[in-house]
Amino acid sequence: MALTAWAAAVVVYMAAHAADTGFSMFWVFGLAFGFVLQRARFCFASAFRDIFLMGHSRNMRGLLLGLAVASVGFGLVMSQQVPMTSLGVYPPSANVLPLGIHTGLGGLLFGMGMVLAGGCVSGSIYRMGEGYVASWVAFAGVMGGLLVSAYTWNWWWDIHIADAPRIWLPHWIGHPGALLVTLLALAGVYVWVLSIEHRAGIVVPPLSRSHSQPESVSDDLRSVAHSLFVKAWPVLPAGAVLGGLNVLLFTAQEPWGFTGEVSRWSVGMASLVNAAPGPLAGVEELPGCVLVPSDGLFFNHMLFLVCGMLFGSFAAALGAGEFKLRVPRRTVRYAQSLGGGVLMGYGAGIAMGCTIGALFSAIPSLAVNGWVFGAFLALGAWLGTQMIQRIE
Amino acid sequence: MTKTPEASVKTLDVRGEICPYPMMRTVSALKKLQGDERALEVVTDHPPALQTIPTQAARLGFRTEVEEKGASEWLIVLTRIEGEDGA
Repeated sequence: MALTAWAAAVVVYMAAHAADTGFSMFWVFGLAFGFVLQRARFCFASAFRDIFLMGHSRNMRGLLLGLAVASVGFGLVMSQQVPMTSLGVYPPSANVLPLGIHTGLGGLLFGMGMVLAGGCVSGSIYRMGEGYVASWVAFAGVMGGLLVSAYTWNWWWDIHIADAPRIWLPHWIGHPGALLVTLLALAGVYVWVLSIEHRAGIVVPPLSRSHSQPESVSDDLRSVAHSLFVKAWPVLPAGAVLGGLNVLLFTAQEPWGFTGEVSRWSVGMASLVNAAPGPLAGVEELPGCVLVPSDGLFFNHMLFLVCGMLFGSFAAALGAGEFKLRVPRRTVRYAQSLGGGVLMGYGAGIAMGCTIGALFSAIPSLAVNGWVFGAFLALGAWLGTQMIQRIE
Repeated sequence: MTKTPEASVKTLDVRGEICPYPMMRTVSALKKLQGDERALEVVTDHPPALQTIPTQAARLGFRTEVEEKGASEWLIVLTRIEGEDGA
């Protein structure tokens, strides 16, 4: 089954490659991201939530390592793109976004939404591939929330975003200083989450089945394949791989992110029923996952990225024997998933990105907006944690 | 897997649940166990629960054993560690 899925992925690659080499490249990146997210169950929502809910830092440690790896890589790329920081030029595709109330509010709503829905946008995409029905509902909510944010975008633009500053650390303290400050801040967060974990008590390491000493080369290879395709990946290597993939994608074209693409789908669907939000002010000039007006086209390189993530997770889950249709029995879960999705969609719309675009690609862009989004994301996740404990 | 002498070990079925309810509902079921109930069985199809439940159970004084039931389903047996009151 898994082999058939991978064979199908190769067929899509060849068809996409014939149409546009950008399509096939983004398809491969999508597959890789989806595969790693599923194999490590790399969930940004739980990275934040589990600190508050159970004093557990597993996913947060992976996230911090991924951010550190990506920061070094992005820092090197950006120092080539903008060697003279005193000129006030911005790196062309890095996620240095307008910073303001919309950043904080977007982070807050997104943080609440991801905990309510049990996964952020990337988390919902990989769980869709694993067969979680609630994640499909959450994704529909995200599409709805993005559309609502598109209706209010021009209002936000006029009163706030147009004049909001884009703060890029290398302008203030140079490339080495900006990277150093970022890495130190990540280390600071690491110490903080470890101290929370130690206060919470025992942490049981993942249960592992005992493996006998491999007796031959083929035995050894089988065991390596088992670790890669069947056993859950430890979170630290997964974080490092995701950070590294993000650097590769940034080097090839732009940082990892996809809510802009998902907004293109929402706006495109709305325009089918003549309910499109109309022209969106300023979006052409902004990097990151800013809303994308419908262009009337179906294919786009980013479509291959998002579909690749979904398919990569699906194939990974099949290979690990973890694919299963999971249907929630309690009606309230559908409401939670949909409502959480709408909050995430709206938050990602005004903050110009989700946990990926506005955080995982923004902090490595050495941009202050990534830190502000992250702080409010944590606050939102804390609020969300209070809410889910009151929902049976 | 040790067989519990009691005829009825409570079973909690959290299949289909979204994250993190498999863990949360297990914790609240463990807290509701009576003093003479030594174990709880949890049926789940949520792989992350295999990492979160053992920690939360240990904090409440329970040992975890996981049995794979196939088709992405697991039976988690939580047994009270003797001589401990639970935290």
